[in-house]
Amino acid sequence: MPQRFQITRAAELESLSVFRQFISDCCASHNVPHDTVFDLKLAVDEACTNVIEHGYKGMDPGSIILSFRITPDRILVQITDFGHIFEPAEAPKPDVEAALEDRELGGLGLYLIYQTMDNIDYQSSEDGNTLTFTKYIK
Amino acid sequence: MFKRLRVKAEPAKTNSDFGEISISQLIGDVSLPVTIKALNSLPENPKLRLYRALIPIQVLAEFDINPRTWKNPDKLPQVRLDAEHGSDKVKITAWYGADPQNEFFYLELADNQYNGIDLNFLIANNPLSEKYRTDYDDEGKETLFGTVRRNLVEEQRAMQAGLAPGQIREGLRCSNIVFNHIETFLTMMAHHAFFLEPLTYVSAWIFEKRGFAYSKGHQLMDTIHKEFQPGGELHKALDGSTPFRQPDQWQTVRGRAWAIHDGILQVLDRKWDDLKMIKQVGRQAGVNTFPDAKY
Repeated sequence: MPQRFQITRAAELESLSVFRQFISDCCASHNVPHDTVFDLKLAVDEACTNVIEHGYKGMDPGSIILSFRITPDRILVQITDFGHIFEPAEAPKPDVEAALEDRELGGLGLYLIYQTMDNIDYQSSEDGNTLTFTKYIK
Repeated sequence: MFKRLRVKAEPAKTNSDFGEISISQLIGDVSLPVTIKALNSLPENPKLRLYRALIPIQVLAEFDINPRTWKNPDKLPQVRLDAEHGSDKVKITAWYGADPQNEFFYLELADNQYNGIDLNFLIANNPLSEKYRTDYDDEGKETLFGTVRRNLVEEQRAMQAGLAPGQIREGLRCSNIVFNHIETFLTMMAHHAFFLEPLTYVSAWIFEKRGFAYSKGHQLMDTIHKEFQPGGELHKALDGSTPFRQPDQWQTVRGRAWAIHDGILQVLDRKWDDLKMIKQVGRQAGVNTFPDAKY
C-alpha cells in the first residue's frame, strides 16, 4: 500500500524551506537514499520556484499543493497550483554549453528537473496545473 | 535524459455547445462536463429531479420539509427552484413558515467563463434564531452583507451575539453536508472542481477546513495571520478605537473577521477583496492559515 503525504502552502519563497523539510521528513521515515532525497529536493525546489515566480505573476499568490507518494520502488511527486498555465514544451532551452559569462541568469529549472527525475507529466486546465514526476529508487 | 515527458496528453474536455442538452450528450462521453445552462434546458421534471440532489435531506428534515415534494406537513411549498431555460445559473431557496422572505437556505451555482462552476452564494441560517438587521442600514437601504453600507448598531449586537460579519442569524452549521452534496452533484455532471470568492475571513477559514485551496489570496491569509500576532501591525491596530477593534480580537477567527470587516487591513495598505478559492472534487487541500484557531 503506497503511503501518501501532502502539504499545502502559499506560493511564496518562504515556503520553499518548508517543502524541503517536508521531503526530508517523508524520505527519512522510508530510508530513501541520500542522493535520491537530494534530487527530489532540487526538482521540487526548481518546480515550485517556477510557480512562485511565473505561475502567480501579477496576482496575490494562491496555493501550492505538494503531495508525495512512496512505494517500494518509486516516489511519485505531484505539485499542483492554480496560477497561469505553464507550457513546459514552450520554455526556452538553456544553453548549458555556453561559457558561464555568456549564460543568461535562471532558466535551468526545467532542465534540472529533466536531469534528475525519471518520468515527467504536466497537466493543465482551469481547475489547476499539476506537474507530476517520478523518481525510481535504486 | 528522461524516460517519458507527457504534456497535456489528455486535454481538458470542454462542452463546446453551451446550448440545450441532448440525449446524444447524455449517452455520449461521460467525462464531458455538463453546464448549468444545458441542465436548465431540460423539461421541468427531469430538471427538478437532478437539482433536488443539491439541498441536503438533513437540512430539510430539520424544518419538517418533505425532501421529495419540498412541502411542509400543511402541504405548503417551502422550497423554490430558479433554473430558467437559457440561464446559466441555478438558485435554490428554502424558507420557514408561510413567508418566502423568511429564507434559511440559499444556494446559487453558475457556469463560469472557463467552463467550470462558481458557487456564487451559500447561506444557511437558523430561522428560529434572533434576526439582526445587519442587511439594511438605518435608512432602510440594503448593505449587501455590509460591503457597501453598514448598520453599526446591529453589527455590534450581532458581534456580541457570536455572529460573523455578513450573518443576519446564527448559522445552521451544515456547510460540510452541503459541500458533500455539491461535490456529488458536480461529479454527476463530470466537473472536476468548483470555485468561490470568500466574502469574509470567517468564510475563508471555514472553506479551508472544507478542503479548499486558494487560487488567489493564500499569501494575504498568511500575512493576516502573521500581522495579528503580538507585535504585528494588525495586532497594534486593535486599539479599541471602534467596537470592532478590541485588543483581544486577534485570538479568534470571528474577532479577526470583524476587525477586517471594519477595515483594519488598511494599516497594511490592503483590502479584503480578490480572494478566490477552489475545491477540487474529492481532494482535501489541507490549507490551514490559522493553526490552532479558536472560532
